[in-house]
Amino acid sequence: MDLLNQIIRHPIDPDYALVTARGNESANRRWPLAVLALIIGSLFAVAALQTTRAAPALQVERTELINRVQNAERAQDELQGRVASLSQEIATLRAAALGDDDAARALEERIDALDPVVGNVPVSGPGVLIVVDDSPSATADARDRVLDIDLQMLANGLWEAGAEAVSINGHRLSSLTAIRSAGDAITVDYRSLARPYRVEAIGDVRALQARFVESSAGAWWNDLAQNRRMRYEISDVKQLDLAADPGMVLRHAGKATS
Amino acid sequence: MIPLLGLLAGIVLGIVLEPSIPQILQPYLPIAIVAAMDALFGAFRAYLEGTFTDRVFAVSFISNVLIAAVIVYVGDQIGVGSQLATAVVVVLGIRIFTNAAAIRRALFHA
Repeated sequence: MDLLNQIIRHPIDPDYALVTARGNESANRRWPLAVLALIIGSLFAVAALQTTRAAPALQVERTELINRVQNAERAQDELQGRVASLSQEIATLRAAALGDDDAARALEERIDALDPVVGNVPVSGPGVLIVVDDSPSATADARDRVLDIDLQMLANGLWEAGAEAVSINGHRLSSLTAIRSAGDAITVDYRSLARPYRVEAIGDVRALQARFVESSAGAWWNDLAQNRRMRYEISDVKQLDLAADPGMVLRHAGKATS
Repeated sequence: MIPLLGLLAGIVLGIVLEPSIPQILQPYLPIAIVAAMDALFGAFRAYLEGTFTDRVFAVSFISNVLIAAVIVYVGDQIGVGSQLATAVVVVLGIRIFTNAAAIRRALFHA
């Protein structure tokens, strides 16, 4: 290690020795020394000031961001509450508009039968709960993380296995909810999920789990659990409560002309 | 004595005046300070050995700071700025420690 040796053996500027050997020349000038010391001192002070000044500013920025996120979340909750009350109103208005004849009753029956399937109303019942999560080594290898396609496979497998209603982390799936990645997070219905992912599905408990495990989605997840060491737990649950999908909105309404 | 007083006066001046460093120069400030510390320790050791000359000190200080800044600047341009900054800090750090040890030996004979 010649370089390191050189640094350690000759830590002083060799010019000091050279100039001294050449003989003394006006060693009495002290003002450049004072000026340089002044400059070095102010350098220290400025750097220290800047570092200490920057720290609280960063902290303030951070808290402000957190506040904004929390405010936005609160606003979202409020809006969701409004969505729920408005859909209630739509249902009452619809019932009033339909009237009370045979055709109306048949229509109402159809609506009642379809509502839970499309995700328009909250449902509860027995079903399965599947909990999946990144593998412990996910920070080292991005391939060990749960991707949007993994959740898509999972949801589609559950539908295929006969699930009547599916929700992921409390977000009910309907034909309008997208499961996709946005940045580092997976979003369902454009809202980001926090790990671990809890997928709940209501359906025939006797068949649902077995059929899911046999489906291609079951094979997919078996592979992920075994080869990528992702968390993958599936269990039967007696009572699941799934909320309605707030994204189901009434887009078109008109009076029946019969 | 004079350098010590100058150092203190500089610190006070910096705190009182709070000169703002241009944004472009800010990344080089810590490196400049390490280079300045190296020059200071080298100068003090030379002083103890009786070879101190203020001209050499001025030249070595200014050239050290400039070279360190240029190395980091070039590193920034080619994408290894932080690594080169680390290299500068390591090399100057070794020098500072070696000089500090020599100063300690000269002052306390230990």
